[in-house]
Amino acid sequence: MSRLWLPRHHPAERLGIDRRAFLAAGLAAGAGATLGLAGCNSQGPKSAQGLLRAAEHFNEKVERALFRHNAMNVAPSGAALAGARFPSYFIADDVPVWDEKERGIWRLEIAGLVQRPAKLTLGELQNLPRTELRLEHFCVEGWSAVAVRTGVLLAELARRAGLLPEARYVDFQSFDDNYHESWDLDSALHPQTLIVYGQDGGLLEPAFGAPARVYSPVKLGYKCTKYLTRIVFLPEKNGGYWSDQGYEWYGGV
Amino acid sequence: MTSTPRHHWIVRLTHWVNVLALTIMIGSGLRIFNSYPAFARKGESFCCYPFTGHKIPEWLTFGGWLAGARNWHFAAMWLLVANGFVYLTFVYLHGEWRDLVPRRGVARDSWEMVKFYLALRKLHPHQGKHNALQRTAYFAMPWVGVAAVLSGLAIWKPVQLAPLTHLLGGFVWARYWHFLVMLALVILTLGHVFMVFAVDPYALRAIVTGGYDEAKSPEARNARPFVNLRARTDVPVTSAAPPHDEPPSGAPPPAAPSDPEPTQKP
Repeated sequence: MSRLWLPRHHPAERLGIDRRAFLAAGLAAGAGATLGLAGCNSQGPKSAQGLLRAAEHFNEKVERALFRHNAMNVAPSGAALAGARFPSYFIADDVPVWDEKERGIWRLEIAGLVQRPAKLTLGELQNLPRTELRLEHFCVEGWSAVAVRTGVLLAELARRAGLLPEARYVDFQSFDDNYHESWDLDSALHPQTLIVYGQDGGLLEPAFGAPARVYSPVKLGYKCTKYLTRIVFLPEKNGGYWSDQGYEWYGGV
Repeated sequence: MTSTPRHHWIVRLTHWVNVLALTIMIGSGLRIFNSYPAFARKGESFCCYPFTGHKIPEWLTFGGWLAGARNWHFAAMWLLVANGFVYLTFVYLHGEWRDLVPRRGVARDSWEMVKFYLALRKLHPHQGKHNALQRTAYFAMPWVGVAAVLSGLAIWKPVQLAPLTHLLGGFVWARYWHFLVMLALVILTLGHVFMVFAVDPYALRAIVTGGYDEAKSPEARNARPFVNLRARTDVPVTSAAPPHDEPPSGAPPPAAPSDPEPTQKP
C-alpha cells in the first residue's frame, strides 16, 4: 500500500545524497534557519505582519460569530474582591482628575447616530435605573480581578437616546489625554455592559476612572475606557488607543 | 544505502509544520505569560505555583511585546489546529493509528524498555515500528494537544465559552492548566529530540526523506542512549557478511530488506 505513496528509491538517493551528505545538508539548513530568524527582530519577520493582520480579521469574525447576548460573566462565589489591589491604569502622567474650575461641570455626552443627543451630569446618570453586578474582570496581561460595578446599562442609555439603525459601532472617549476605544454595537448592548460610576459599594475613585467609565466583562480591560467624556455612536469603527498600536481591535472575552 | 519507506509525506509534512507551529505557540505564549508571571486572581493567593513573579528568560520568548506575542499566538493557533486535524485524519484513514495506539501489555512492555535503557536488561525488546515508550509518547501527544486547545479556548473566551471555563475550574485554573499542558508538550518534545539523537539518529532521514534503514534500527543495533549509536558493521547491510561482533544471543536477525538494491560498486 505504502508503495503507492512512497518512491521505491528516495529522491535523496537518486540525487546521490548519502547519510553524511544528508547530515551536512541538515546542519547547513538548521544554521541557515537560525541566521534567518536572527536576521529579523524579536517580533518576527516583517513579511509576516500582513499574515498576522489577516489572522486578526479572521479572529474578529470568529469572535463575532461566537458572541451571544445571553452569555454572562459570573464571578466565582468564593472569590475575594480585589479592592485597593485592583491595578490602576491611565495613560496620562498623573491620575486624571476632572477640574471643575477649569473645565466646568463634568457631563457625559451621548452623541452620534442617535435621535436625542444628551449631556448627562453625574447626578442625572445616578438617577437613571441602576444596575449592580459582581463581575470578574479580564486583563489583556492575563490577570483577573473581581469587583462590584454600579452604573447604568449602556443599552438603557442607547434606548433613551433613540439609537438610529445606521449605528454599528460606538466610540468611548475620555479626558485621559486622548484615550479612546471603539466597540462593535453588539458588545456595547450586552446586558452586562455598564456605564459605571460606583465600585465595591462606593463612588468610583479617580484611580479607577472617576467620574464614570465603561465596563463590560465581554471586553478586555483596555477596551473599557475610563474617565469618560463622550459616547459616540458611529457607522464605522474608529480604532482606539491600544488597538491602533497593535492590540486586537475587537478584544473580546 | 538500504531504504524502506517509513513515514508518509503527509506525516513528514505535518511533523515539521508542527515544529514550526509549536515553536511559535510556546514562544509567544511564554511572552504573554511574562506580562503576568503569576496565577492568582488580584487580591488572592494561588496554591500551586512556586515561581510567582519570575519571568521566563526573554530569549525563550517570541513576539517582542505583549501585543506582538498575542497576534502571533492567535494566528499560529489556527496553523496548529489545522495541522493537527490533517495529521489525525490521515493517521486514522491510512491506518497508521495501528502503530500508535497502545497495545495490550503496554505498561509491561514500557517497563521492559525502561529496564533496557537502564541496562537492567541486555537485549532490546522486540518491537514493530515503534517501541512501547514511543507508542505511549506518540499516543499521548495528540491528547495533550487537545488539552492545550481546550484550555486555551477557556482562557481566550471565558465569558462566551463560560461553561468550558467553568468546567476547568474557572479562568485562573484554566490558565494554570494551559501552562501545565505547555510544560507537558515541552517535556515530551525534549524527550523525543533527546532520544532521536541519543538512540536513533537514523530516524532523522526517515522524517525528512521518508526512508529508513531497518538494519540500523535501535533494535537491530541493540541501542540504548549513546550505546551502539553506530551501526555495528561498515559493510553494506545487503551483503551476506556476518557482523564482526558476536550478535547478542537470541537477538532477532536484522530484518531482510524487502527490496535489495543492486550491488553497489565499491
